[in-house]
Amino acid sequence: MRKLVLIAAATAALSTVAFAQSPPQLPPGEGRDIVAVACSQCHTTNIINIMRKSAAGWREHVYDMFDRGAQVSDTEVDVVVDYLAANFGPGVNVPKFEVAALPDGAGKDLVQQRCGTACHDLTRVVVPRHGRKDWDRVVARMIQVGAPLTADEGKTIAAYLQEKFGEK
Amino acid sequence: MKELFKQYLDKGISRRSLTKGLTAAGLTAGAAKTIAQSLAPPAAAQTAAAAPAQIREMKGTGGALFTQQLKAAGVEFIFFNPSTSDSPIFDSLVDESGIQLIKGVQEGAVVAMADGYARASGKLGVVVVASVGLPNAVAQMVNSYKDQIPILVAASSVSQESVGREQMQEYEGIERVTQPMTKWHWMASATTTIAETTRRAVKFATTAPAAPVYLSFPENLLRTEATAQIFDKSLFNVSMKVRPDKLDIEAAARMIIEAKNPLLSIGDEVFQNDAGKEILELAELLGLPVAGQGGSLGFWTKPFPSKHPLYIGPLLRQMRFPGAVDVHLNIGSKHGEQHMPGAKQISMRRDPTSLARGAPVELGMVTDIQLGTRDLIDAVKALATPARLKEIAAERLARTAEFTSKQRKLLDRVIKETPYDGDITMERLGIELEASLERDTIYVNDVDSGKRMDAFMSWGPDDKTYIGTGPNILGWGMAGAFGVKLAKPDRPVVGVVGDGSFLFSGPQPLWSISRYQSPVTIIVLNNRSYNNERNRIWMSGGTQFQAGRDMTCYLGSPDVDYAKTSQAFGVDAEIVKDPRKIQEAVSRAKKANAEGRPYLLDFNLARNGIGAASAWHPAYSVASKRKRMV
Ligand SMILES: Cc1ncc(C[n+]2csc(CCOP(=O)(O)OP(=O)(O)O)c2C)c(N)n1
Ligand SMILES: [Mg+2]
Repeated sequence: MRKLVLIAAATAALSTVAFAQSPPQLPPGEGRDIVAVACSQCHTTNIINIMRKSAAGWREHVYDMFDRGAQVSDTEVDVVVDYLAANFGPGVNVPKFEVAALPDGAGKDLVQQRCGTACHDLTRVVVPRHGRKDWDRVVARMIQVGAPLTADEGKTIAAYLQEKFGEK
Repeated sequence: MKELFKQYLDKGISRRSLTKGLTAAGLTAGAAKTIAQSLAPPAAAQTAAAAPAQIREMKGTGGALFTQQLKAAGVEFIFFNPSTSDSPIFDSLVDESGIQLIKGVQEGAVVAMADGYARASGKLGVVVVASVGLPNAVAQMVNSYKDQIPILVAASSVSQESVGREQMQEYEGIERVTQPMTKWHWMASATTTIAETTRRAVKFATTAPAAPVYLSFPENLLRTEATAQIFDKSLFNVSMKVRPDKLDIEAAARMIIEAKNPLLSIGDEVFQNDAGKEILELAELLGLPVAGQGGSLGFWTKPFPSKHPLYIGPLLRQMRFPGAVDVHLNIGSKHGEQHMPGAKQISMRRDPTSLARGAPVELGMVTDIQLGTRDLIDAVKALATPARLKEIAAERLARTAEFTSKQRKLLDRVIKETPYDGDITMERLGIELEASLERDTIYVNDVDSGKRMDAFMSWGPDDKTYIGTGPNILGWGMAGAFGVKLAKPDRPVVGVVGDGSFLFSGPQPLWSISRYQSPVTIIVLNNRSYNNERNRIWMSGGTQFQAGRDMTCYLGSPDVDYAKTSQAFGVDAEIVKDPRKIQEAVSRAKKANAEGRPYLLDFNLARNGIGAASAWHPAYSVASKRKRMV
């Protein structure tokens, strides 16, 4: 019980360290000008700033935006994806998140080092309670969009999260 | 007997009533039938051409005056849900074969059916509902109001002598409930004026900008008899089509000929005035790049051929292509006027109220879109030789085609890279529907993230027809599709709804679809979520995003089986989960439709976007809160 309170307190504090607070900025680089114009026709670029994804994850995102009308062409799309992955990829330009105290168990270190550092803090890992299948799906999805994890590490993490942060 | 003949010839009574009257007067059934047949009026088309437009006097209840005036106005359907007090309206239809009653079992569905019918036919949709159910109708009236769809909603209210007594179901000022979403509302004050006011309502509803109107009939007035005149529609629903000023059109023609970098944006009024062919001709005549409508709100049609090399996609802010525009011509789009620094804005609109409402407009014209576009084409042709026009168009087309061919290539690549494994994605479904739906399908949609499929499908005057709603007041789609099919029984009609959208209407529209054997295909995009809503909320990076907790949008618990729900209403249905089986399932739906049966496909889809993988939702169990196990 004490441990849970500790986590809750830690995560409450953590949720204040977020991308939303940092100003939306597009670092220089090839593709920046396309992103600056094409992506801001419908929304601010803050949405880019608060996410971290691998090239595969960003490609999915850019295709989605193209489907909805974004003016990007076949000759530009790879440049845009590369730019986003280079500047908004896992571990790139992220605030230093505090490491939350987690219950002991196999996978604890992996979660602390990989799930709470590269893209977001641990709040979103330890606060929602997911069912077994749901944790599998969430971890698989994270790997798909760029979490720096092997498939085996993913399994360990999913098992740990199911046990410690599964549905009650 | 003479009186009977006169009534019949004046169309005051039906042939069945005449025959009945004659037999009552002593004739044999056979003789009565022969006489009735010999008196039958010639085919409608012949009389319309020959006879002068007529005014006839009739005596009847308020209910009969209402329905006979509607019939004379050309109304073929009344969409309804009954109450005790509006029964004189339905009494008057017992012997009337000219008006078909269409029942809906929830007032929102009743309005959405009438609205879908009106969108597809361009005709008036007439609705009669109980006053106590009127607030149910109102949400769907917002769709009609915002998109300028002509519907007439009527309800009976408490008898005049009871007003103010706070009767059991009376609420004061019932007509005001509809005020923000009607152009006009009226409470009848005498039976004698019901026909006249019905005419006025028809005229107000159908005159551009079209809109819902509301009529309230005190119960006693519907029951009381009176004599009144019934006008043929040609005597009051006169053409309100306007043509633009000649000089304005010439000025506009000159501007779009001389422009260095023009842009044409188009909107729903092109569809409403059936001007698709004229717009295409204008665009091709001058090689104008055409921007359409997109996003998740604010449009309900796609009237330009989406595969055309001049079609550049939805109008956005600061378009990368065509870049800095010098002349922006908006034809028929409510949201097409845009402040573009350095550009002259011309706007041709059917609706004067939203013309030049926000952005600066140099040259504004109120016009019927078909007539105005035709005038513009003629003016362009009068101002420049065919050779010069050809030259201008060729140069502009080359620039635009270079852009659109690159866009097309990227689309092909996205299609190629869309996986077949895993859950069905919105992209996959769009691709498969494009491959399997008939080219003349009317695609009726009430979706949010489902709009992502639009890019994979083709639209236009000679292609699939797109009909949705601009404000996306959800719960419209299945009833809307029913109304569209009623208007266009010879076109394939597919109604597409999100799972969220389905639950807003509930399954009630399936009742009408089943009852009236409407062979439509309903597609449910079942992603167990308000998927796009979650994306919009999380996009802002707020607390739900940071905590990874979707407080509001998850729908999958309970996991609703829409196929079973459909079967409960007698509509055959199936669940589809395998991306490779989509086309087979669509074929089964098409076969059912061909046989005259509706069909529902419950597509189990992947969620997409931010937070898509999670099924987390705030749990709460009332059962576990009990202290007494009851
Ligand atoms: C009557 C009504 N109530 C609320 C809303 C707000 N709203 C917009 S989108 C949406 C969720 C739509 O969910 P669904 O139809 O399943 O779409 P998808 O999951 O494909 O995004 C809601 C509730 C609305 N548009 N209409
Ligand atoms: Mg949904």
